[in-house]
Amino acid sequence: MSAVLDTVKRSDVEDWLYAEADILDAWDYDAWLALFEPGARFEVPTTDFRGWSPLGSGSFVTDDWDLIKARVKRLKSRKAHAENPHSRTHRLVSNVRLHAITDPAAPLRVGPVSTDVAVTARDFGDLSHCLRVTASFVVHRARDGRFDSYVGRYDHVLAPADDGFRFRLRRSILGHEVLTAGARLSFIL
Amino acid sequence: MAHLPPPTALVTENWDEQTFRVHREAYRSQALFDAERDRVWARNWLYLGHETEIPNPHDFTVRTLAGRPLIFVRDGEGEIHAFLNSCPHRGTVVCRENQGNAKHFACFYHAWTFRSDGAVSSIPGADAYHRDEAFRASMALRSVARLEMHEGYVFVAFTPDVPPLLEHLGDAADYLTMIEQQHAGGMRTLPGTQLYSVRGNWKLAVENAMDGYHFAPTHNTFVGYLRESGFAVTDDDQYAYTLQNGHLLLVLTGHGGRISMLWEPRFGEDERVRTAAHRAEMVQRLGAERAHHVADESHILYVWPNLLLFDIEGLSIRQLEPVSPGVTDVRAWQLVPREEDPDARALRMRTVVSFVGPGGLATPDDIEAYEAVQRGIEATAGGGEIDVSDMSRGMADEIKGVQGRSIDEGAMRGFWRHWVDAVEPGRWSVTGPRPQSFVTGRDVR
Ligand code: FES
Ligand SMILES: [Fe+2]
Repeated sequence: MSAVLDTVKRSDVEDWLYAEADILDAWDYDAWLALFEPGARFEVPTTDFRGWSPLGSGSFVTDDWDLIKARVKRLKSRKAHAENPHSRTHRLVSNVRLHAITDPAAPLRVGPVSTDVAVTARDFGDLSHCLRVTASFVVHRARDGRFDSYVGRYDHVLAPADDGFRFRLRRSILGHEVLTAGARLSFIL
Repeated sequence: MAHLPPPTALVTENWDEQTFRVHREAYRSQALFDAERDRVWARNWLYLGHETEIPNPHDFTVRTLAGRPLIFVRDGEGEIHAFLNSCPHRGTVVCRENQGNAKHFACFYHAWTFRSDGAVSSIPGADAYHRDEAFRASMALRSVARLEMHEGYVFVAFTPDVPPLLEHLGDAADYLTMIEQQHAGGMRTLPGTQLYSVRGNWKLAVENAMDGYHFAPTHNTFVGYLRESGFAVTDDDQYAYTLQNGHLLLVLTGHGGRISMLWEPRFGEDERVRTAAHRAEMVQRLGAERAHHVADESHILYVWPNLLLFDIEGLSIRQLEPVSPGVTDVRAWQLVPREEDPDARALRMRTVVSFVGPGGLATPDDIEAYEAVQRGIEATAGGGEIDVSDMSRGMADEIKGVQGRSIDEGAMRGFWRHWVDAVEPGRWSVTGPRPQSFVTGRDVR
């Protein structure tokens, strides 16, 4: 058993994910950015995702650290027209599970993985002190007189920190077949 | 809300007043949507997909085009087909997977099976049919009426009486060739399709793509991001062309950076070296002038009626699928060189996805714009003279014979002239002498 799973409790991770959900629902994007390690990535694969690497496939979001910062800066602007006024969102997080990262060559993905290049732990540097966290999410969004829901699974890589955790990889994998009408990802999924 | 289209003109073009108006019923009328289905989508070449989506024998993907479910498949001999995804027996959707590789398609209802070339491979209890061999031969999967390919782009038509594909593509064909020529090894699509839906009429997506006027105000935050990375955003030297047969083109020479072709500082030093080497190779292969057109210009190409190609920083194929007057499904693929340095690829994916696509830093604002248009046009419904949208920008230059700029609305006017001619040819009013300048295409061959 990996050392990190001896010291980290699921309830700690759950509390941390719930706090993140509150931060996002409150549109406190500076606080959200502080949850990332410098150099982290944020990914939302397309709805037909089969474990492809973001270099070998299209994506909805494949942000490196510069782009995460640019995204936050944009969302804080009144000129981010797609989110002005802001959508009202309400997030539910559940089915939280912790996984040790033991094999650096193993694909970082739950479920079946394509034979195509999958992202492996190795792509994210030394992960010996990190853990993978999978969870389910539902994000409800009210906007323009409509109410949409987004369902999916988180597959994150977290590094423990003094005051909780930091994202090294934050990945949201949609459970939808397509992004339904009005469902552009103009907010953080 | 269903308003009957008024008996007046849908497109009003007045050269004395220099106004061009489109009746807003064009975006919301179910009757006009039905007329488009009949007169545009059922009898035109439509973009189906790129052959590199199904690279191997028996690869398939399913796709709905003009409301019709299709199987896009490569058979065992490498031949490409588009079958109506409907069992010749009683109509069941035969293929219920989204994509995969299969030598056979089995209809689950009565278990008829078909080969990847469409032929029947088995009918349980076929001896119950009169002359079962002849019967079996008549029951192959139904193909679309026409299928042709240009540079890997596969087009289909649901009626046989369409001109040859190259004739239909006209000047647009060469822009597809220019993309293929960007890299000696050619281009391919990547898996990972952006599938999304917008609450807006399909024509608003075309207008938006051809509308340089909205760039600065709508994409203020994206322009800010580019400026910070040392990219001088400018509207200069950006032109709009109306090609024949409803195709449209924006040529964006004042728009900088293109991965592996036109370097700019935000791409980094390694990419500068790669770009220089690639440019030298292109000049060798294509000659200096052609290499200039291929590499130094960004293009946004619209191929009537359902294909948009964003040949800008990277390359995106976007396909439009009208669902109802107010809803459009969009599918987008990334097109990449068949052989590409992994660092260049990383830069390409990061750059192209950060701009184009429903999770990017710019496209969500475009979607917001045309969804807001769709909601707003309900306000003037039944309003007679005020129930129109204005697309007059740049008509004065057209009269002078000056090439239209991307920040004008000339490409949109070209679109609407073609649209009204195809859908409701009688409902078009032209007043005053029309200058001929707008019909010019662009020849870079
Ligand atoms: S409908 Fe397909 S086998 Fe009967
Ligand atoms: Fe735009």
